Amino acid sequence: MAENSILSARQVSKRFGGLQAVDRVSFEVEPKGVTSIIGPNGAGKSTVFNLISGTFLPDSGEVVFDGKDVTHQAPEQKLASGMARSFQITNLFFDLTVMDNLRIASQRLESTQQLLKPFSKSRLALQRTDELISEFELERAADQLAGALSHGDQRRLEIAVTLATRPRLLMLDEPSQGMSQADTQETAELIRRLSQNMAILLIEHDVDLVMDLSQHVVVMAQGQKLAEGTPQAVRANPEVQTAYFGEATA
Amino acid sequence: MVSAEKRAIRIVEISLLVASILLFIFAEITGDTFYSRLATEALIFGGLALSVDLLLGLVGLLSLGQAFYFGFGAYLSAVMLKQVAPSFWLTMLVVLVTSALLGWVTSYIALRSRGVYFALITFGLAQVAAKVVYNTRALGASDGMIGVPILQIDFLFFRLDSSDPGQFFLLVFAVIALMYGVLRYITHTPMGAIWHGIRSNENRLAYVGFKSKGPKQVAFVIAAVIAAVSGALYPMLRGFVSPELLFFSVSGNAVVTAVLGGVGSLVGPLLGSVLLTFFKSVIGTWTVHHHIIIGTAFVIVVIFAPRGILGALSKRLASGSDRKGE
Repeated sequence: MAENSILSARQVSKRFGGLQAVDRVSFEVEPKGVTSIIGPNGAGKSTVFNLISGTFLPDSGEVVFDGKDVTHQAPEQKLASGMARSFQITNLFFDLTVMDNLRIASQRLESTQQLLKPFSKSRLALQRTDELISEFELERAADQLAGALSHGDQRRLEIAVTLATRPRLLMLDEPSQGMSQADTQETAELIRRLSQNMAILLIEHDVDLVMDLSQHVVVMAQGQKLAEGTPQAVRANPEVQTAYFGEATA
Repeated sequence: MVSAEKRAIRIVEISLLVASILLFIFAEITGDTFYSRLATEALIFGGLALSVDLLLGLVGLLSLGQAFYFGFGAYLSAVMLKQVAPSFWLTMLVVLVTSALLGWVTSYIALRSRGVYFALITFGLAQVAAKVVYNTRALGASDGMIGVPILQIDFLFFRLDSSDPGQFFLLVFAVIALMYGVLRYITHTPMGAIWHGIRSNENRLAYVGFKSKGPKQVAFVIAAVIAAVSGALYPMLRGFVSPELLFFSVSGNAVVTAVLGGVGSLVGPLLGSVLLTFFKSVIGTWTVHHHIIIGTAFVIVVIFAPRGILGALSKRLASGSDRKGE
């Protein structure tokens, strides 16, 4: 399995002051399909995510992407390697238009020499921008400021921005956060479709959504990995049930 | 709204161009010196406000020390013209290169921090420079330097005389317009978009693959060059330089000018400088307390038109076209 995986986290740990937020967590992500991290609040899911995406550096352990040690790479280097992430709290260029958000996000497809040439010379980036606009049905919103979009549209734009450089690993931090039922379903479909061609690492609160989408689930509790396996196996695991629902008293 | 802003910018650009041509014709016919010199000064300080707007309006960095680069350009220009050679082109070239170098070196100090701390560091750097100049005998210390020579400026087919107010005004207009054009061009490139991205949400930039440091440094260096080149024109106009050019009042005035004109519009600060300079001159003939009036006007504008004159104009254009659309 290890030879097959696109991402492996090996014994990664992170301490914040007196709190061991993440304690020697290891898991693998397959090149295609959805791997999810679930766990109760405070389990350390988001910290793991931040360690992998380069927001924080781990105190120990390593992150290997596509056979390359990327543990100490900054976020922009990780993006260049093919790892992209979204944010739980919508994190866009709010006072730029949807079009400009996607343009900036696509600009990494071009060489740095294009930076001081007119926009029209960045053909790959512009083409990608158009693709994303039609793929995410943002045509009517293209000239609106990102900050003026509805919450659902902002969440979709967030994913579109993340996809702009055609990453091989997409890390989604609670993509359905604050979405309506219909939007959540739509997002689930999107994730399913994307996962046919890329690796997706998902953090999600909505357990049903996770079980429905994932091929592989990692369960965390109190900074440690509690269990992992297929959705069915994880669901049946008594330890997982305890972590989520507390000790059985009867 | 976006197109209204573009239209507002275009209107102001054309107005400034037309006004400048009219002023030049007026000066050539009547032999006026007062208004052309005032307008020249307005453009020179407009260049300084332009450099503030590049940092503040495009990248979101508040510099409280742009007078450092302005004063650097002014002093270097005075020294070059007096002691090396009375050559416009050589002086401009030297100012261009050395101010880029100065901007590059100081960017490492200033860009270590963000927000208020960035503002304070730029302020501090300018204060240090002002004190050094103020106490350097070779630069005239507190008296500054006088006796900058009149220049004959060679172009390929003609020659301008810096003591001719109309001609020199035209030259300054061309220099400022050129710098404005370069900035306007950059706003239409990915670099401009990245600057906007930094202003909007700097932390997000790394996750779309860019470090913010490099683009910020580019902006900082260009801003230093624009301020210094504007400053270099000052002794050619006035014939002297004084340490006041490096004082905080100059940096602060440039920020006020940019805010008044409309931050982020680039042309707004130029318009703001023209209006403020004339306003000061006119009110200055009535009362010595013109700062009170200008301060009050500033407060009123910030309250009622937070995005400056350009913001107010584009708002008006937008509501006008809405009504037409109905």
